[in-house]
Amino acid sequence: MKQFRNMIYPYVVWIFIMIVVPMLLIVLYAFTTAGNEVTTFRFTLENFTRFFQDAVFLDVLGRSLVIAVLTTVICVLIGYPIAYAISKRPERSNMFWVLIITMPTWINMMVRTYAWVGILQDNGLINSILGLFGIGPVKMMYTTFAVVLGMVYNFIPFMILQIHTSLTKMDKSYLEAAADLGADRVQSFLRVTLPLSLPGVLSGITLVFLPAVSSFFIPKLLGGGQYVLIGNVIETQFLTSGDWNFGSAISLIMAVIIMISMYITRKVDTDPAAHGKED
Amino acid sequence: MKKIFALALAGALAASLTGCGGGTDNSTAIEKYGSDTLKLYNWGEYMGEDLISNFEQEFGVKVIVEYFDSNEMMYTKLQGGDSYDVLVPSDYMIERLINEDMLQELDHSKLPNLANLADGVKNLDYDPDNTYSAPYFWGTVGIVYNHNNVDPAKVEAEGWNILLDTEYAGHIYMYDSERDAFMTALKALGYSMNTESEDEINAAYEWLLQLNNTMQPVYVTDEVIDGMANGNKDIAVVYSGDATYILDQNPDMSYWMPTEGTNLWSDAMVIPKNAENPALAHEFINYVLTYDASYSNSEYVGYASSNQEVLDALSGPGGTYENNEAYLPRSGYEKDEVFHDNETIRRMLSELWIKVKATKA
Repeated sequence: MKQFRNMIYPYVVWIFIMIVVPMLLIVLYAFTTAGNEVTTFRFTLENFTRFFQDAVFLDVLGRSLVIAVLTTVICVLIGYPIAYAISKRPERSNMFWVLIITMPTWINMMVRTYAWVGILQDNGLINSILGLFGIGPVKMMYTTFAVVLGMVYNFIPFMILQIHTSLTKMDKSYLEAAADLGADRVQSFLRVTLPLSLPGVLSGITLVFLPAVSSFFIPKLLGGGQYVLIGNVIETQFLTSGDWNFGSAISLIMAVIIMISMYITRKVDTDPAAHGKED
Repeated sequence: MKKIFALALAGALAASLTGCGGGTDNSTAIEKYGSDTLKLYNWGEYMGEDLISNFEQEFGVKVIVEYFDSNEMMYTKLQGGDSYDVLVPSDYMIERLINEDMLQELDHSKLPNLANLADGVKNLDYDPDNTYSAPYFWGTVGIVYNHNNVDPAKVEAEGWNILLDTEYAGHIYMYDSERDAFMTALKALGYSMNTESEDEINAAYEWLLQLNNTMQPVYVTDEVIDGMANGNKDIAVVYSGDATYILDQNPDMSYWMPTEGTNLWSDAMVIPKNAENPALAHEFINYVLTYDASYSNSEYVGYASSNQEVLDALSGPGGTYENNEAYLPRSGYEKDEVFHDNETIRRMLSELWIKVKATKA
């Protein structure tokens, strides 16, 4: 083993350049004013006060969190049964179903989201079909429904795969033991399967919540620009107004919120009550 | 055995790749320009189908094209140190690039086709003698409306303020960029779109808030093209070249340039300071300005050519866009303005615009 230890150094260097340095730059930008020379920095908290003193930005932050939570909850509610059903299939067809679930992710996310525009718009696929029965047109584009749908659609594979992995890794003898002790199927699901699959659910939640809370092109495409989320505000700061300092400050605020939510998730994960077999 | 096969395959691949590159003899181009590759950074969907391939064939060179969807995105990349030979930014961005000393002066002796420039797009304020820039396309911003659902007389009477007419609430596309949104509002209120007065800007902000809160507008950029061509909405703020396409696709649509004035914009070709191949860049710019190249370019994209003869041919009798009121830009109208770059104002508008959009009605 020892002779391999040196081989991690390239990765450490890589991580440092690609992750640590950019993060430090964001922190630096967030706490400074615009127009700094390389050698002199003017430190300030102005970028943060500007964000927190403005009701509009706080509204946007709140809305982003609500939509992300909503997306995550729906992903769990839909994803869990699907993952459970797949894990009950014979091992061979398991592979097939996992393939089906992951297949959409081979296509660029932007393209897939754009396809929904054609399906949801006023004279799109769904409304054309409804029109045949004399219903509609139902307004679906540019609504919260469209934004949440787009997010659930894009992020649900992460949820299903995480839950599926934890379900298939589960030791089946626990279920046999539960049956031996007289548990019926509902009881053994609630008291054995569910607790043992919780780590998968929790990492699924992390994987869905993070991209959902910072997504900017799904609200842009499906929300028609009205659904300004925090990701859109950050994007605008960098690409349109060119205010990198304010953009970095908002990014940092987001990073802190994400770290807090990950910490909470981790806490639940290591909570002995929710914990399964190891230790 | 497997390894040998893989190696052979890799070899064959490499051979076919180099075979591809060596298809044309580029040595003359290298001798003449110092290199046979041109790096072009242009807007997406902004070139005729065979502009690039024709140029490549005629001059025995290779063109690498990258696309941007906003001037700011282009600027951010340029600042990041990326090098291009030719860029096609808009007026106010060219002004900014000139002020920041990021552009080379054009060698007019290498650009004889500059003589064909249309008057309306020549020597504009942002570059008074076309020292740095050669116009590519130009146009206005106006209102595209469905004349079956919206009375033309009403559009012409109300101008930009029709966007606040609640009769059409829920049937409106607004252009999602702070410059165009504030241009619309400022012109509707009778102010200059280059105003530096905070009161006027605040009044425009209130105007946009009213639009946001009472009209259920959908904020779009390029999606407006398909949206209006499909007749999804009745009124939209659209760039004239896109309007040309929409009118071409959907006979129910009309175009109106409000009498309160509008943004007279142009996009022009420039050579950045860090260009690796300025000689070939000049050749390309001159080529784009030729009658043939500009004609097929403009006919295909629908934006107004910077070449006067092309403009006459396409909008004149028998021309492709003879009956398309959006194609030919209005020139010489005193209330029309060209954008100026002002960093403080730009930031202010940008922040106000995101606030407008983030406000829930």
